[in-house]
Amino acid sequence: MNLNDVEVNSITKRFEDTVAVDNVSMSVARGELFGLLGPNGAGKSTLTKMLCGMINPTSGKIEVGGFNIQDKPMKVKELLGVVPQDIVLYDYMNARENLAFFGRLYGLSGGKLRNRIEELLKFTQLDEKAVRRHISTYSGGMKRRVNIAAALLHDPQVILLDEPTAGLDPKNKLALWEIIRTLHNGGKTIMLTTHMMDEAEELCNQVAIMDKGKIIALGSPRQLIKKVKMENTITVVPDKITPKLIETVKKISGVKKSYRAYDENEKVETLKIITKKAEDILPDVVSAILSVETKILSVELSRVTLEDVFILLTGRSLREEERQV
Amino acid sequence: MKLKRTIHQVFAIAKTDFLGIARNKTAIFFTLLFPLFFLIIIGFTFGTQGTGETSRIRVGTVNRDGITINVNGTASQNSTIGDAFVQALKDANFTVYEYDEYGDKDSEGTAAYDISRGEIKVSVVIPANFTEALSFQFTDSLGMPIPTKTLLDLYTDPSDPTGSIIAQQSILGFVSRFIEYYQGIVISQIPDAQMRDYAIVLADPITVSTSEADVSERPLRWIDYMVPGTLGLVLLWSGLNHASVAIADERTKGTFQRMIIAPVSPATVLAGKFISCLAIVYLSGVIMLASGILLFQVNLYWNIPAIVMSIFLGALSAIGLGLIISSLARNVEAANSITVLVSVPLQFFIGAFFPLSIMPEPAQVFGEALPFTKLVNTMQNIMTKNLPFEAVMPEVIYMTISGLILFNIGVIAYRLSLKRL
Repeated sequence: MNLNDVEVNSITKRFEDTVAVDNVSMSVARGELFGLLGPNGAGKSTLTKMLCGMINPTSGKIEVGGFNIQDKPMKVKELLGVVPQDIVLYDYMNARENLAFFGRLYGLSGGKLRNRIEELLKFTQLDEKAVRRHISTYSGGMKRRVNIAAALLHDPQVILLDEPTAGLDPKNKLALWEIIRTLHNGGKTIMLTTHMMDEAEELCNQVAIMDKGKIIALGSPRQLIKKVKMENTITVVPDKITPKLIETVKKISGVKKSYRAYDENEKVETLKIITKKAEDILPDVVSAILSVETKILSVELSRVTLEDVFILLTGRSLREEERQV
Repeated sequence: MKLKRTIHQVFAIAKTDFLGIARNKTAIFFTLLFPLFFLIIIGFTFGTQGTGETSRIRVGTVNRDGITINVNGTASQNSTIGDAFVQALKDANFTVYEYDEYGDKDSEGTAAYDISRGEIKVSVVIPANFTEALSFQFTDSLGMPIPTKTLLDLYTDPSDPTGSIIAQQSILGFVSRFIEYYQGIVISQIPDAQMRDYAIVLADPITVSTSEADVSERPLRWIDYMVPGTLGLVLLWSGLNHASVAIADERTKGTFQRMIIAPVSPATVLAGKFISCLAIVYLSGVIMLASGILLFQVNLYWNIPAIVMSIFLGALSAIGLGLIISSLARNVEAANSITVLVSVPLQFFIGAFFPLSIMPEPAQVFGEALPFTKLVNTMQNIMTKNLPFEAVMPEVIYMTISGLILFNIGVIAYRLSLKRL
């Protein structure tokens, strides 16, 4: 018996001369919360589109719930609940009307549909007053919750969440993580695409890191961090980050990698240094930074994150990729 | 079970699409009220002109009927019917200006001058032999009437083709009724039965220098022709406009992609969109017709099945064309721009506001080729002339063929657009 809800075998997708997804294979076990990580343009969206039947692969095979998506697309679509990255709702209708519409698309009607809508409104914690207003009047967080509810109407076994917390403030982000955890605890198989490594680390029990159309790492977040054999990160907030500063730090013995990053919570640019033993090299790092006439605003020692893993594997920062895109 | 589910899906898509218009003030204005706004403006400007209400038509008469002419070798100076013609024009409520110095050729020139200044819309030159010809006074040596034509000249303002056509139509309708009435009187006064029969054969001796004829069983005003014609505009403004943004808008918002990832076939989505477009066309049509009745008291014939059927066939073309635009456009803004580019010029070529006959020949050929023009013609024939559905069959066949062609191209474009998701 196949215990995997999603099976991807040697999938390739070409757009003329560009290979968006290059011979990718992976599987997601039933009840797993699987994270698909990577920068924009890594091939995550193309892979997701193929998984939900929006586009066909150039070669390879995808099975969801044991059904080949190309042979039984409707069957697969009934098993899948897809939460798109953007808020895809009709802003001239209220939450209940939106859910009724999407429910009908999945064949629900009458009392069954009404009950399911009420269940989901409760689950997503939308109060009755808000439910009666048009979506256009909702906050970002409320819209996100309705966006998720619309994908859950038919009680799908496999849920694809595409960047579900993009653009949300920390409070709403935590609320949404809670919803995802509840779904996972309820036995749903969840595939989460994200470029937020902290999100993947927090939620997923299995992750795949994609870059340039390929999966470059696959395993649990802990396994991936262990794999790079690095333990610590020194995060410095200097008054300015110059290429000379980065080069100077790189020359320090014991530094595996140094790169520019952006702290979304503090909204500051940081210099990250990955090393085996942070305490040992910290004095050298401080003197090196001061030697290039740069002030240090703060220094912090922490363990290696998935983001650091991505940088060690690809040689590039995730945020740099995004900025270039 | 599967069919029931598909029907539910189709109507859910149609309802959602329809709500998108109903709850959007701008969309309501441009889809439903803008055509009505146009009808009201043009209706109040030209609408009450025509054979039914003539007081706004200023007619100049140059009555030469009193000039002495030779009739059967004898000088005759009789202006009875010419004078009656002028009086009848006044009685028919035309605003009449008389340029009637008998024999003064400058009168015609003065009337022409007044046309050029916009003082009068049309001048009617009554010929010198008007009374003699209409009363069969020209006879052969045996005393039998001989056919004698009399030429009634109409002069109109070439710089105002629309106003001229309205005035011309009105005068032509008047002339035909006048001849019928007066010749009936003259013929009935002929004592000899054989002579009377002969006179009937000779009747209608007037030649008018224009060739249009009054075609309706009822006296019609301009607005009576215009209201059925506006159904063609409804197709362009409501049908084409809505169909062209229906899919582009959903694609821009991402809701189209969300529909496609649900277990819904592309054909179901299309069917839902088609139904909502059709509903909007019919609703807009009802608003236009109801406004025509309420605001202008239009006098029309109501063959409802023929009207509904013809609008459906016309809508096939409009929605097909809209689908092509919607599928090719990258986003809703592009779809809107293309639609404006297509629909704004087209509205002048379908004969709804302006008769195609006033246009240059290439424009007439182009206009006649449009399925929307066929709908305008069909609606005018059914609703103003009370022609049966069979009588408009050539137009109906044309609309069916063009509708099927455009709709199928639209479906192909729609299927191709799915690959761009």
